[in-house]
Amino acid sequence: MPARVPRVIKTEALVLRHRRLGDADRIVTFLTPGRGKRDAVAKGVLRPRSKLAGHLEPATRVEVVLAHGRTLDIVTQAQTLDAFGGLHEDLDRLSTAMYLAEMADRFTIEQEDTGDLYALLHAALLRITRGDGLHLVTRSFELALLDAAGFRPEWRHCIGCGAAVSAEAIAWSALGGGLVCPACRPAHPDAAALDAATLKVLRAIQDGPYEQAARIRLTPPLAAALERVMHRLVESVAERELTGQRFITEARRAGMAATAAAERDAGAAR
Amino acid sequence: MHDRRADATASPIARLIEAFHRLPGIGPKSAQRLAYHVLRAPEEEARTLAAALIEVKERVRLCERCFNVSHQSPCSICLDPSRDRTVICVVEEPLDVLAIERTRGYGGLFHVLHGVISPADGVGPEDVKIAELLARLRDVDTEVHEVIVATNPNLEGEATAMYLARLLQPLGVRVTRLARGLPAGADLEYADDLTLGRAIEFRQEVR
Ligand SMILES: [Zn+2]
Repeated sequence: MPARVPRVIKTEALVLRHRRLGDADRIVTFLTPGRGKRDAVAKGVLRPRSKLAGHLEPATRVEVVLAHGRTLDIVTQAQTLDAFGGLHEDLDRLSTAMYLAEMADRFTIEQEDTGDLYALLHAALLRITRGDGLHLVTRSFELALLDAAGFRPEWRHCIGCGAAVSAEAIAWSALGGGLVCPACRPAHPDAAALDAATLKVLRAIQDGPYEQAARIRLTPPLAAALERVMHRLVESVAERELTGQRFITEARRAGMAATAAAERDAGAAR
Repeated sequence: MHDRRADATASPIARLIEAFHRLPGIGPKSAQRLAYHVLRAPEEEARTLAAALIEVKERVRLCERCFNVSHQSPCSICLDPSRDRTVICVVEEPLDVLAIERTRGYGGLFHVLHGVISPADGVGPEDVKIAELLARLRDVDTEVHEVIVATNPNLEGEATAMYLARLLQPLGVRVTRLARGLPAGADLEYADDLTLGRAIEFRQEVR
């Protein structure tokens, strides 16, 4: 006999994703504070009169009651606690939230301990909602998530020999997960140069606290350099590019084109 | 009890029940009823059903303009001279075209994305027919002034709509979104905050 499982649990949760099941049902993936990541079936949720509808959207914080089912748990009640309304005001915020949820889902295994990932994701969604800089929120979440998942990148010492890395010749390896010194660099064919300013910010974000790192002024080139490093790192751990990264980039590009067009039109009108 | 799964050795009736059971929304009881209905029906009816099943797989294709499913390309909607060519309604799936057509309140053209941007499911902007929509709007012969984005009112549908709005802005087309509010028959008590908030925001005069 397997260990007895409680028949009903009531928990708050962040909704990571949902996928359709049959005509009117959905499988919803929840991230919970104490019970890790869990899938559950929301029956009839696609019917317009469903009491669950609208309370199980990704990137919302909900309170749910899950009943233990034969194959999958069943959502019996759901109530939105926080819809993070500010996320929906702007596509860059929304695409960032989608990327964070995708990462949280990708880097966890169902029903396994997810540590303080719930608190990390919740904090990140609140920061996006209140209008914090998206680059800093995202980099801070990526570094903390990699740490929680056992892939903490090394930004102080060489991953090969443990020597402190001097400020003159800094290189890093995405596959190795951190800095490499000149002597160890040949052993890491993917190693690339890293400038001192980028490294300084990576360390500040990793060391925290967030509020202190948030005081750093990220110029656009610095923000872009940080994004390139973290994308390569996340990609090498996930062993593929995350779709959310691509969507953020495409959405930003479309935004810049739209702004340029608007400015051109305004210029023509003058 | 032997395994109900359809394999070559199962009886023809068991295989038919199993085949019906695989269809969406058909439970085991309904599958049995359908199978016995076919068994009792005249042979002609069974042949018509079988032919329709084969034909739908062999002859139905995607319209080269709007990507709706059709037996011809361009489809009958795209070719219909009475339709308003200045408006395109963008939907996620072919079934959404049917739903909008049923309202009889829309007389413009369509564009079917065949999905919606959803990073959690590995679906990015290039995995749905967005580039094809841009190509239609950039066409020198285009008469389109307005694009109505009718993606589903959920996170993915909203993100896709906002992304389309950004892409289409430089083209000078008006981009609109379906109004959002409470569904007919809904109960305020059970409405989620986002829906209720929008219903208040987009309230209308009582006439
Ligand atoms: Zn067509």
